[in-house]
Amino acid sequence: MRESMLRRSLYTLCFLTWMAFYCPLLNAQDSGLVVIGNSEDVPSELDRRQLISVLRGEQQRWKDGGNVVLALMEPDTPIGRNVCTRVYNMSGNELQKYFLLLVFQGKARAPNYFDSAEELEAFVAKTPGAIGVVSQQTNSSVKVVSVDGNSTL
Amino acid sequence: MNIRKCFLYCYLVYHKGIWCKFFNSISGYLKHKLINAIAGTLAVLLITTGTTLGQRTQIKGFAEIVTILDEDGKVSFGIGEQDLFITSELSNRISFLGETVFKFSPASPTDFNVSVERIIGKYNYTGNHNLLVGKHHTPINYWNDTYHHGRVFFPTITRPLLFQKDIVPIHTTGVSLQGLNLGKTRFGYDFMVGNGIGAGDSLDDNTNKSITAAIHIKPKDGLRFGLAYYSDVISGGPSHSHGGNGNGNHEHVRVNQHLLNASVAYFGKKYEVLAENIFAVNHNDSIGNPLSVVTYVYAGMRIKDKLVPYIRVDYLHFQQEEPYFAYDNTTAVLAGIRYEINFLAVVKLEYQYEHHDLTGDVSRVVAQFAVGF
Repeated sequence: MRESMLRRSLYTLCFLTWMAFYCPLLNAQDSGLVVIGNSEDVPSELDRRQLISVLRGEQQRWKDGGNVVLALMEPDTPIGRNVCTRVYNMSGNELQKYFLLLVFQGKARAPNYFDSAEELEAFVAKTPGAIGVVSQQTNSSVKVVSVDGNSTL
Repeated sequence: MNIRKCFLYCYLVYHKGIWCKFFNSISGYLKHKLINAIAGTLAVLLITTGTTLGQRTQIKGFAEIVTILDEDGKVSFGIGEQDLFITSELSNRISFLGETVFKFSPASPTDFNVSVERIIGKYNYTGNHNLLVGKHHTPINYWNDTYHHGRVFFPTITRPLLFQKDIVPIHTTGVSLQGLNLGKTRFGYDFMVGNGIGAGDSLDDNTNKSITAAIHIKPKDGLRFGLAYYSDVISGGPSHSHGGNGNGNHEHVRVNQHLLNASVAYFGKKYEVLAENIFAVNHNDSIGNPLSVVTYVYAGMRIKDKLVPYIRVDYLHFQQEEPYFAYDNTTAVLAGIRYEINFLAVVKLEYQYEHHDLTGDVSRVVAQFAVGF
């Protein structure tokens, strides 16, 4: 009886240890994404189809005429990888090839890539028409763009 | 700094004589008028767009190194084109794109030629609709409008034979209207009026203008259907240079050319398919309307993350009365494998076989290392 209790306790301990170490890793890879935009030009709401179209460089201008400016995390950062997978359904390599080809064709502007979310948010805050994706909003100068009525993707 | 780069580029192009010929051919008064008109137009566009200068300029390049094993067992190492590609945003609505190729040319005293492949000024007048002026790659077919001189993007080592046989009018200098990603099917259009075949980069050789009308849809990611029509009157005389698009080394009569292109492209995660077909009619009153059919089909399958075996079949068929294209019915097959190190470096190994009715069979093995930088 005592042996089985000990074994159960040991299993519980192992499970809690696994949770403690592994879950933060899961969060870094799969946590929600937040779409942020400059307070000028960028609408406060988009549906997912519009968002994907914008982020794929298929839309040159916002409805009010301002330029669409893309701000993305470098694809080799954890957030960048998450965005590539969940938003673009591409690897980082595929995403960079996709945009290089579009720019080469003269059919889209190259996205602006950033190493840190702070830099990305600062860029979005000061650039009219800029839209980007981060893991959470920390800069109050940018607005959160809701997608299909949700504040996270 | 960015603007300086842009002007430096234009200055270099000027000194290669591309614009010199044109400016030297007109009188001083006309020159003055022309320069004023261009400067005035640019000023008006910049002012009306109401934005500041000093935007982003990006310089990229593409290059390739090839190794060829021919039928005689001779192995040759060679460098291909080096492509310099510049984009610059001059204002909120105006952007510039330049593509210049440096390539080996035994006819040149320096063994190299500089070729201006594209110089395009783009004015985005509303939404996804643009006005483009300059020297373009004619948007008549998928390959010409997609890969340009970026060898790292080519799914195979070489272009399809319809390029090598000069079926496609590769360049057009002129003006075009372009629409991109319109509506749910991502409809796009190009309507272009240009100097056409036989013209140089600065002057037309006749009073007729070429017309290109192209439409496409992209109903799902990676899938594109396209249809295009090209029409031009080609002056009689010797074959034309690459800049004006040639047809082999022979004299030809004046023809009215009509090209109809259909294309389907699918580049998915696992499968890749690209097929294009051109029906060409070179009409001449004394010869009639001989029909030429040229086509190619490419298929590839990604068997691993970076590894794509592929095959391509080219078929070129001309009628005997063909007055413009070099009459040499050709069937070609190539099979190869592509290893994508990353999006900027690709290695390909290919076996190529061509059967020419006139000149016989040719086969070779080619390896290519293509990079973007």
